[in-house]
Amino acid sequence: MPTELVVLVSVLVFPGGLFAFALGLALKGVDRRVAARLQGRVGPPLLQPAFDLVKLGFKRTMVPDTAVPGVFLAAPLIGVVAMALAVALVPIAGVYMPDPRLGNLLVLLYLLSVPGIALMIAGSASGSPFGAVGFSREMALMLAYEATIVLVVAAVGLRTGHAEGQVVTFSLAEIVRHQQEHGAYLLDPVMWPAVAAFLFFYPANLGIVPFDIPEAETEILEGPLLEYSGPALALFKVMSALKTVVVLSLGIALFCPVAPDGIAGFAVWLAMMLGLLVVGISAVRVSIGRMRIDQAFSFFLKWPLLLAAASLTVVVVV
Amino acid sequence: MLLARNLKRIAARSPWLYRINSGSCNGCDVELATTACIPRYDVERLGCQYCGSPRHADIVLITGPLNRHVKDAVLRLWEEIPEPKVTVAVGVCPISGGIFRESYAVCAPVDQYLPVDVNVPGCPPRPQAIIEGVAKAIEIWRARL
Repeated sequence: MPTELVVLVSVLVFPGGLFAFALGLALKGVDRRVAARLQGRVGPPLLQPAFDLVKLGFKRTMVPDTAVPGVFLAAPLIGVVAMALAVALVPIAGVYMPDPRLGNLLVLLYLLSVPGIALMIAGSASGSPFGAVGFSREMALMLAYEATIVLVVAAVGLRTGHAEGQVVTFSLAEIVRHQQEHGAYLLDPVMWPAVAAFLFFYPANLGIVPFDIPEAETEILEGPLLEYSGPALALFKVMSALKTVVVLSLGIALFCPVAPDGIAGFAVWLAMMLGLLVVGISAVRVSIGRMRIDQAFSFFLKWPLLLAAASLTVVVVV
Repeated sequence: MLLARNLKRIAARSPWLYRINSGSCNGCDVELATTACIPRYDVERLGCQYCGSPRHADIVLITGPLNRHVKDAVLRLWEEIPEPKVTVAVGVCPISGGIFRESYAVCAPVDQYLPVDVNVPGCPPRPQAIIEGVAKAIEIWRARL
């Protein structure tokens, strides 16, 4: 197969595009079901997020008088496209290795911040005061958690680079290959603080309690999403489903990409995704309340940053 | 045709609820909250979700006797909800005015101003009655999709 076609398939069919779309919706469904069960409720059917999307397809998209129509409608599209590309950048151990021409870890970092920016654009273009509050909160939170992920990625890059005889590597394929040969970073005590920092990062990046501050329903009525309805809102739901896949899959690729080849490796990967989802998202969001933006801001600039910096320092010094 | 019908059947499994308090004493609102928050009366199993924005809503639950002061705001809010939508009057107040009827300060019944599809009487109605009202509203909503 010509390489252009391979790249196209990896973005549109597997693991990006269709596959990530289905998996993301399924993960969201599992999350809602598990959260309901933990609260002692019956919960919605597993396919509920898909039902929601179909429903939104039948509704009308209303554009408020105060909005900038073009930007208002383009924001969700930007987010979805960025995430569909990002999924194709993350390797699945033993199953999928991204084409190096798609980009490396640094490109992925940039793409990961696009949904946040799409939400900011959406909030400010909607012309709603709640959207504006959501915009400012999203920006503050992003400033706080981006530093953490950059340090985590630097620690992993340097560790792999040193071991491979280079200074640093930002190729996810190389990072995964190195761990497959020499053992996962999850079992490497030097990387444990970085793993912990990543565990704090991903609920914030996914906008999940206790860090769902920009979209707080009870305070600012879902902030940037307040004015969206119909298919435009559905696109935001798709974006958030894809982002779940990207972030969980990135965590696995950075710290634990150890799996047999072929279908067994795929099953192991799916099991790890589900584990991360249930333990790190569903169980957390039913057990604690939402932080205030100032609390979250100072929290991220203290503990996760400290943890990531600790890992990085040890990697650099040793 | 068949595909469209099937998609509509699927769509009807995701009714999002929106509460409008038009000057209620909060009794009905507490009962509404129990249908979502108490494990015994979980409405999420019907696919329902309480949403914060009128733009996301499919089924509108109105409580209270429509106070004169909030009438215009309630009507405006109702207009903001995208079609197709279904309106449910929860409690006896929006239906007749309840204990506030004949007061100079209320505009009840609500159906003078809005097309009400389902009435759930009670002061306050039991959660089972509210859920039955929502189930009926879903039937009506499916026909409108």
